[in-house]
Amino acid sequence: MSQRTVLCVDTAPDVETISTAVSTEESLTPVEATSVTEATEFVESEAVDCVVTEYDLEDGSGLEIVGALREEQPQTPVVLFTGTRPGEIDTASFEEMVVEYLNRDLPDAADRLGFVVDDVITHSAQVGFLAPDDEGSRLEALSEYDVDGMPIEESFSRLTDLIASHFDAAVAFIGLIEEEKEDFLACTGADWDSLTREDTICTHSMLQEDVMVVEDINEDKRFANNDKLQNLGIVSYAGANMTTDDGQIIGQVCLIDHEPRHYDEAQKQDLQDFADTAMEILDLRQQLLDARTVEVDT
Amino acid sequence: MSLTAGSDFTVDSLGLDAIDGGTSVLLTGEDSDALEAVFYRLTAPQTDEIAVLLATDAAGRSVKQSLSRAERGADDRAALLTCEGPAQGDDVRTVDDVSDLTGLGMEFSTLLAEATGEVDDFRAGILLCSTIMGEVEDTRSVYRFLNSNFLSELRRSKALGVCAVDTSADIGSDVNSTITGMKTSFSAHVEVESTGRNQARLDVSDLPGDDDAVDVSW
Repeated sequence: MSQRTVLCVDTAPDVETISTAVSTEESLTPVEATSVTEATEFVESEAVDCVVTEYDLEDGSGLEIVGALREEQPQTPVVLFTGTRPGEIDTASFEEMVVEYLNRDLPDAADRLGFVVDDVITHSAQVGFLAPDDEGSRLEALSEYDVDGMPIEESFSRLTDLIASHFDAAVAFIGLIEEEKEDFLACTGADWDSLTREDTICTHSMLQEDVMVVEDINEDKRFANNDKLQNLGIVSYAGANMTTDDGQIIGQVCLIDHEPRHYDEAQKQDLQDFADTAMEILDLRQQLLDARTVEVDT
Repeated sequence: MSLTAGSDFTVDSLGLDAIDGGTSVLLTGEDSDALEAVFYRLTAPQTDEIAVLLATDAAGRSVKQSLSRAERGADDRAALLTCEGPAQGDDVRTVDDVSDLTGLGMEFSTLLAEATGEVDDFRAGILLCSTIMGEVEDTRSVYRFLNSNFLSELRRSKALGVCAVDTSADIGSDVNSTITGMKTSFSAHVEVESTGRNQARLDVSDLPGDDDAVDVSW
């Protein structure tokens, strides 16, 4: 099992209590910080798998660290490990900053902390999107495709050129939805490599059976306050599922426009046909790769 | 430290088979009275169980009355967090602002931890998630709240959880698309359609033995 880094934050005399509790889980490696400043600098420069913090710190509150973390690593979970009661915590400036709250004054709090940290990391327990119930099987299906080992970019780039032209869309892309991000394999009209999953519309679209259309993201609270989407100039969206033979949805073929846009049923069907074509190309490329691997082995 | 074993939860008043511990039920409907009636019958605790409920649109006294109507004595076995009305002792706590998901999540987690400290089997519920969605600026925060403070608790504690969404409410986004997405994260779905005074038809998906329409009355 790979080691996971857990940033433990508390005042100098007490931080060891947290790091000791965290280290009871073999897979967790604690790193200590004793102030908001030190912790904030750390999350701005290093990737962490979880943050455990006291609320009352000498130079501020633990929620300030959460604010910095959400800017840098929005999907990283946080456990607020404190004896301060929720009613005494000033949440006025942090109203939508959800964390796991664990009262450190409870008799078994220290025993429970390592388990909770391991659980929130393992289950991506604080992400801002809903994952399908069979997410594990979906990710397994996705891992069957060795995208890095196949020459897929040129084929997909030609396809997204065709899709953008067919729909007269500003952007057309093909993306695979990984556990924490979406990787864009081809993108016509923009230069996008990947996007954190909770910032993508595709992570919502993949949960729909049919083509999902958002005519104007500014009219939908799931996306209207998403700075990443706004900064990319995304206004309208249409996405169709790439579905494996086993029924797992691993990616999306999508259209983006910089103004509100409606798609009729025939256009939605066209987009789905393009997504099915992309899936067929990916399948055939993988079969070719598998056949060559067998050839070399023999 | 590990996940607890979990028990079955009976819902005889709705004529449904017992529901496995750890099940998360998404409860939807556009008739708020019928939705509430079914919600309280799913979450009313039996003897030796407790309920921990978040009520966004009702005061503690009202919630307790509804629980009592669903199951005699259930109100005495419930711990409530409400966004309306006054606090009452340890059983009814309040939050001032339903859009303060940071505070709401911490209060709900605390209530769960304290109320379930001495009881293995509990039912947890949110009535109404659509109110929260309507109040917050960014739906991603609601998903974070559900993941962190609700679905995680159910997974760890093998409790029965029910999250109610009034589909006639303005949630600030396409309600059908949102429900379709939410259904994939919950282990079961019950859609409530009112069929008359104190009557409803439940369209049940993914509950043991009940993948069908069920007519209920109360």
